[in-house]
Amino acid sequence: MTRLTRVGAREKVTGAARYGADHTPEGVAYAMPVVATVGKGRITRLDTEAAAAVPGVLLILSHLDNLGIIPAGYIMADGYAFQSLQPLLDDRVAYRGQPIALVVADTLVAATQAAGLVRAEYETEPFAVELGADGAETVLQEEAIPLPFLADIVVGDAEAAFEGSQVRVDGTYESGPQHQVPMELIGSVVEWQEDTVVVHEGTQSVGALRGGLARQLGIDPDRVQVIAPYVGGAFGQKNALQPHLAPLAVAARRAGRPVKLVLPRAHTFHAASFRPVARHRVRLGADASGRLLAVIHEVDQQASRHDLLPATYTEITSRLYAVPNFRGRQRHVKTDAQTPGYMRAPFEHSAAFAMESAVDELCQAIGRDPVEFRLANDAEVDPVTGKPFSSRHLAECLRRGAELFGWAARTPEPPRDVDGTMIGWGVATGAYPSLTVPTLARLRADAGGRIVAEVGGHEIGQGITTVLTCAIADDLGIDPDAVTVVVGDTRAVPHHLTAGAWGTNSTLRAVHAALRELRAGLGAAAAGRVDVAAAVTASGRDEVVVEAVTQGPGQPPEMIDRMRAGLVALAGPEYPDYVSFSFVAHFAEVRIEPVTRRIRVPRVVSVVDCGRVASPVTAEAQVRGAVVWGIGAALRERSEVDPRYGGFLNTDMAEYVIPVNADIGRIDVAFVNEPDFVLNPMGVKNLGEVALVGVAAAIANAVHHATGRRVRRLPIMVEHVL
Amino acid sequence: MHPFAYTAPATLADALRALSAAGPGTKVLAGGTTLYDLMKLDIETPSSVVDVHALRELTGIDTGGPGELSFGAGALMADVAEDPVLLSDYPALAESLAKAASQQLRNMATVGGNLLQRTRCAYFRGGPAFPCNKRRPGSGCGAIGGLDRGHALLGGSDACIATYPGDWAVALLAFDAVVDVAGPRGERTIALADLHLEPGVSPDREHTLEWDELIVRIRVPATPTGRGSTYHKIRDRESYAFALAAAAAAVALDDRGGVADCRIALGGVATRPWRCRAAERELIGGVLDEHSARRAGEAAFAGARPGTYNAFRVELGIRTVAEALRIAGERAVR
Amino acid sequence: MPARISVARMTSEAETAFTVNGTTVRLGLDPRESLLDVLRERLGLTGAKKGCDHGQCGACTVHLDGRRVVSCLMPAVQANGRSVTTIEGVSGPGGELHPLQQAFVDHDALQCGYCTPGQVMSGLACIAEGHAGDDDEIREYMSGNLCRCGAYTGILAAVRAAATQWEG
Repeated sequence: MTRLTRVGAREKVTGAARYGADHTPEGVAYAMPVVATVGKGRITRLDTEAAAAVPGVLLILSHLDNLGIIPAGYIMADGYAFQSLQPLLDDRVAYRGQPIALVVADTLVAATQAAGLVRAEYETEPFAVELGADGAETVLQEEAIPLPFLADIVVGDAEAAFEGSQVRVDGTYESGPQHQVPMELIGSVVEWQEDTVVVHEGTQSVGALRGGLARQLGIDPDRVQVIAPYVGGAFGQKNALQPHLAPLAVAARRAGRPVKLVLPRAHTFHAASFRPVARHRVRLGADASGRLLAVIHEVDQQASRHDLLPATYTEITSRLYAVPNFRGRQRHVKTDAQTPGYMRAPFEHSAAFAMESAVDELCQAIGRDPVEFRLANDAEVDPVTGKPFSSRHLAECLRRGAELFGWAARTPEPPRDVDGTMIGWGVATGAYPSLTVPTLARLRADAGGRIVAEVGGHEIGQGITTVLTCAIADDLGIDPDAVTVVVGDTRAVPHHLTAGAWGTNSTLRAVHAALRELRAGLGAAAAGRVDVAAAVTASGRDEVVVEAVTQGPGQPPEMIDRMRAGLVALAGPEYPDYVSFSFVAHFAEVRIEPVTRRIRVPRVVSVVDCGRVASPVTAEAQVRGAVVWGIGAALRERSEVDPRYGGFLNTDMAEYVIPVNADIGRIDVAFVNEPDFVLNPMGVKNLGEVALVGVAAAIANAVHHATGRRVRRLPIMVEHVL
Repeated sequence: MHPFAYTAPATLADALRALSAAGPGTKVLAGGTTLYDLMKLDIETPSSVVDVHALRELTGIDTGGPGELSFGAGALMADVAEDPVLLSDYPALAESLAKAASQQLRNMATVGGNLLQRTRCAYFRGGPAFPCNKRRPGSGCGAIGGLDRGHALLGGSDACIATYPGDWAVALLAFDAVVDVAGPRGERTIALADLHLEPGVSPDREHTLEWDELIVRIRVPATPTGRGSTYHKIRDRESYAFALAAAAAAVALDDRGGVADCRIALGGVATRPWRCRAAERELIGGVLDEHSARRAGEAAFAGARPGTYNAFRVELGIRTVAEALRIAGERAVR
Repeated sequence: MPARISVARMTSEAETAFTVNGTTVRLGLDPRESLLDVLRERLGLTGAKKGCDHGQCGACTVHLDGRRVVSCLMPAVQANGRSVTTIEGVSGPGGELHPLQQAFVDHDALQCGYCTPGQVMSGLACIAEGHAGDDDEIREYMSGNLCRCGAYTGILAAVRAAATQWEG
């Protein structure tokens, strides 16, 4: 297989790659939001006089205007937006940081100055921003969102089995809140060309922006173009329509000029979703020989008042082990915040931290080696449905990882370095569902031998353009330089949201099908090298164009219509004949200073079962990046909440501490690389999310090994090991 | 950002005249890494800005003399951090600069401006959503009773517990530095120990400079104790972060290994650079070992007043002092 | 010495002249404008990126008189009389990549690419400063450039490789 360097790397190292806000159309005006400073209430007075007097100010939009837009609806309830609440439509303030006005001016300087001069008075109301707070309302997921895939997972009689177990662990674990903090700020450049609105914005879902903006403005979706060839990181933050876009389109229409908005970093902590607090109670029961008998996993997840983020924590914790008795329960705690949402491995990271910490506690209680325990309790078939896994090589991940890490040298008593440095080794596993979405791929072959592939997907740094280029070049036996992949552009094909690591599986399915069509269209054999130039020339046409739409196994055809409309249409991980997950095992070493107790992670070994590796270079980068994320999640990142003020407090990149280069040591990555031809004909599963699942638990388990301290709340900081 | 009148005088004399002429509400802009940052947040709202970054008169570094080290206030942090004399004879000074910010910021920020770096308190920087006596006198303090994990353990008042964030001033304080200040009334010299103010009842007043004065020079008396020194900084990540606790420590040993001289100052834990004379007395004349270093740390934090979430930084601070003394002791000349 | 700028009235434009990638530009600037915004919005040089606008991420790193700075924290008027180099000025005249840029490609030192121009500008300076002596030194001196995709090991490898090549 081609070991292709990253497609687009040249453009990125030269600064030529153009991200959303890099567009500066002639005559562009600049927008700047004003945000609420109270935790909840009603705007009683909005004073825009001083702001309007700033030279160059063109517009100040607020609820006092009729913006003529309607909400776009919540992405997980047949809508398009990260939350159902659309600011600027009424005087309500649901959370601190909510936009209350949008200033548009000739220059960024003027817009910024004027935004700072808008004054609001409020009638405030009590609010609750923490799980245990007065006024925070708790609802049971299976009652609040009665959909089959969100119901409690129950297998056997977990309570009885737990009570009857010889060895029991009962622990409460907590993670979040956290923010995605992609490097690219949320922003947009909006321009009306005749009666078509053109949007340049970094997003994971040009289709949702198109469909959502059309719904909000009451126009035909064909009059909305969304263009996002490069996205400067997203990690779930940019997976839906953001509430700035429709007001910006209104502003551009009223001003008769293109308008650019780049949110200040501080605003982004309230302007989009975040990883909610999740509090897990995990109970494990085993017999004295170390056979896992019962798992009870109960989760409380933070919600907003206006939306419930469907939680699937127990989807993986019910399947990591061959456990005969499992009971899950997922609840939502409504708080006065913006709607929390998806941040890389949104449920699985947190769930694995809880579950794999608890398993480590169980291993200690029984006196079994954590790798050996996991191998002994590995599942052959899905414990929940009884169906086979499309493939499952978790044991191989563990064995390979143990070997690469040198796990056999681990002793229950942690070693100490000569200077007293405490050393600990930890292991944890993870899984992530293989999801599939409807995808359209169009291939154009020309007489010069070039292939242009227009595919419903987004390049967010994960390397999808590299994956697809590899696949097309390999299939046709042509030079990768002859292949151009176009993604993130509604002018080309309809797009489903790209998230949940379903991009590779879904787009490769469509491209694979389109390649079969292309071979037929070119009169080429079903396999083997194709002389594209000769075949197109022989066809007598300038170019040969083919198209294919694919979807997940068992997915009803109307899901394709949803995809075309920019709505979410997921299949998996339970398919008609099997269930499908990717798996991972992480091994981490921590070293803790003897006196001041700084925790360092000099090395991590991660072994992934993601089916066939579709593009080695970008796959390795995905895993290394995920390990960096895991180090951040385990040891650094926490969005701070002061219950007196609501919102988040540490809303900048100095105070929201993500890892820097000096935090990162050696990261060794390996793949099982066994194709999964059950899931799809290319043999790929998923990678970008699973690679993060379990990293934090491996580090927490290593910290326990080194210090004897079990920290059940992330992040683990110096005060926890002092 | 609010509009302001901008001047970039060509000489120090012109700058002082411009400063006087512009009146109160004028700010001096050097590297910009604090002032311009806070202007972007509408927290600093000067009516007038006098830009001194290009004044060559202020950039001299003289570490060659026998009696003292001298740093022009406009010298860049990155340049001073790599001065060979500092690296060999005053590592605490060099390290305090090298462990501050990033190389990009050290290439912009000046050693004079850095002394007056303002606090990172989120309630201060967060703007009108929060009360802050430093930003809006009389509005209250959001940090007291709030998320005070990074707030001051020493030198706080009922009005303010904002931490002084700088590192360089802490190391300078350990070495009895002075600053030369120019103004319309001529030059004067202020001991660094007298430059910064505790918040008291008026946390908006952070230093003893008049509005029309300008730091022109920092001077450090030469001392052999410099050789045995370090700036030890514990952060939430390995680099590019403010201190949870930091200590400048310097030790000189006598022929028999006893502590002849000792300097200890704390960073990141107090409302101003914090000298610890009591901790120094704990060691001078005695032996530096693990136990005495710990005792010195305990003496340094004897007056600590922890709040809700920052109590761990008392123990962390004690250990940071002890570690700093160990490192300093290993470097000390006899 | 930079020319003297004198502006008496508030928000008046200050005439400012500096070179960007070898070309002289003259602009009337509001003293509030950052160098980053001027490069991006006025001069069309969008390689330098805005990630925080407060000197906390390094995505806007450019060289000022050969030294790396964060252009978001510098009022553009301070560039008067000085020389600015951005990522657009790094490649050769025929578009050939600088060895460090090539090393970034070869070591896959990037994912989404948004922080990459800043990383390259910082890496160039890191090597020129003599701060690429060993891995720990590179890590420390590249820590002013955040990368949320987590390409740090690749960035380390790329800077190390280019530094070795530079010396060799």
